[in-house]
Amino acid sequence: MKNKVQLFSISLISGWVMLFGGAPLLLLLITSFLKQHPEKFYQFSFSVQSYFQLIDPAYLDIFLRSVRLAGLTMLFCLIFGYPFAWFTGRLQQHFRAAMLIMLMIPFWTNSLVRTYAVRMILGTHGLLNKALLAVGITESPIRFMYTDSAVVLGLIYLMLPFMILPLYANIEKFDYRLVEAARDLGAGPLQTFSSVVFPLTLPGILAGCIMVFVPTMGLFYVATLLGGARNLLVGNLIQHQFLVSHNWPLGSAMSVILILMMAAMLALYWLVLRRFSARGQVYHA
Amino acid sequence: MTSKIMTVFTFAILVLQPFSGAAAEKVYVYNWTEYIPEAVLEQFTEETGIKVIYTTYDSNETMYAKLKLIQGEGYDLVFPSTYFVSKMSREGMLQPIDQALIPNMKELDPSVMDKPFDPGNRYSVPYMWGSTGIAVNTDVIPVKNVTSWKDLWNKEYKDQLLLQDDMREVFHMALKIKGYSSNSRTPREIEEAYQLLKELMPNVLLFNSDSPRLPYLAGEVNVGMIWNGEAWMAQQENPAIAYVYPSEGANFWADSFVIPAGAKNRENAHKFINFMLRPDIAKICVEENGFATPVLKALPLLSEDVRKSETIFPPAAIVKAGEFQTDVGDALPVYQMYWEKLRSGN
Repeated sequence: MKNKVQLFSISLISGWVMLFGGAPLLLLLITSFLKQHPEKFYQFSFSVQSYFQLIDPAYLDIFLRSVRLAGLTMLFCLIFGYPFAWFTGRLQQHFRAAMLIMLMIPFWTNSLVRTYAVRMILGTHGLLNKALLAVGITESPIRFMYTDSAVVLGLIYLMLPFMILPLYANIEKFDYRLVEAARDLGAGPLQTFSSVVFPLTLPGILAGCIMVFVPTMGLFYVATLLGGARNLLVGNLIQHQFLVSHNWPLGSAMSVILILMMAAMLALYWLVLRRFSARGQVYHA
Repeated sequence: MTSKIMTVFTFAILVLQPFSGAAAEKVYVYNWTEYIPEAVLEQFTEETGIKVIYTTYDSNETMYAKLKLIQGEGYDLVFPSTYFVSKMSREGMLQPIDQALIPNMKELDPSVMDKPFDPGNRYSVPYMWGSTGIAVNTDVIPVKNVTSWKDLWNKEYKDQLLLQDDMREVFHMALKIKGYSSNSRTPREIEEAYQLLKELMPNVLLFNSDSPRLPYLAGEVNVGMIWNGEAWMAQQENPAIAYVYPSEGANFWADSFVIPAGAKNRENAHKFINFMLRPDIAKICVEENGFATPVLKALPLLSEDVRKSETIFPPAAIVKAGEFQTDVGDALPVYQMYWEKLRSGN
């Protein structure tokens, strides 16, 4: 009986993953190898022209900008998220739950709406400028909108929980007695962090970074709403290919590249984890 | 797991529901942002009992992509610009209009009927027409500093301009400066325009064709392109925003009602068109949106400031100096290629 239930759930879940994960990916992959067509979105004949088009310096430029913006977002999320996850992990059980709920509540609001909220804060007549003018820090409003900084700020706001949650899941399991042991053995705070806390929370850090980095490059609407004519993400390019240029193969090829990046990062994560656990075993022995 | 299945089930019901049954009392309208006042839609439902399901787009390209994807099904009325009417009818995406069902069509301004983009108005009925010119916030920039498209190229405006997120309108500026027709089909001329636009890019802060007036009203931009109707709406809130017809000539365009090939509520779509062309309704649309209507009988109903507004109804000399947007046929992919290059900073 139990086996049947197991078999049922496994086949249901794998069927689910195949249908809603595998099939669209496969379609995307196939589309990326088709030819462009002026009136339809693609035409059925094999071609690698889309991948060659990607080598264009303009696309490469936007790609590198995207990597930079996503990298900055990831870094700031880590800087803000790590202390948050660490102190939350140190709290009593019911306070932890409260902290996590407070982290999640903004997520009940659609991310698009929250991006609009960021706009209202950053605008030339927005809350931030009103505050700065009132305090007298500036005499005329500063333009924050339509800059890389505005885009990064919006991205950090949207992506922060994706950094905190994997970090927290890792830190929660962290045995605090190790810190005490390190102190007893004479390690200062910096050394305790660098040789005990950091290596043990590294899987959480990596997981958080992966969760933030690649999806960030696809968040085209943040760049559309907060960025200007030149603050584009790879996501904007993809959107443009599908909606404006009607070139599905090229848009698909761009998506495939993003997916490959994600896969490469996951592979790296897996390698590091394996090394990490292997070393752990040596210590235990 | 049960909850997951339930979720899928509920989702399926929500998604599929609009396509089943009770279709007779509905009309699916897919339109530009802020192009029909809400009160007008409510009045239509009140008078006819037909429910309007209303969604919006911000560019011809997006509308076209969506319509093509669903093969013309799911929407009963769309509002493409002239050159997209010809493209879509050529590609079999539209169904003919039954003029007998739209008696108000006879009252329309003959000068906007039977145009080359749709001879005999087989597929389209004009809705509104307007222009694309320059907006200036005169509190910040003296209006005499910006009188031509060329003035936007002034290095002083680095990172300051708003451009319409519309390929043809943006190319219009450069083609006019170069002295070419903005309906040019010559690849060399289009390329020259592209080279000129590339020089403009450092000045461009953002592209917007959703509600271009909002960044002007929010103080984010003080000079750039705008539609006359958006300028009109902006002036109601901030009279300092001036609308300038550039000396090289403004861009004139028209949007038309069309019925997609796969539209299910054909009759309701015709009723909707006829309703929209009624003088009292056209009057509300002009006063709210600030665009000109081809419904001649609506003109005497307009309040004086609207009727006399040169922003909405340009003097004949300005119309003559400008150029009306028409089909560019085979040259469209050429524009698209350069537009793509321009947008990705190439």
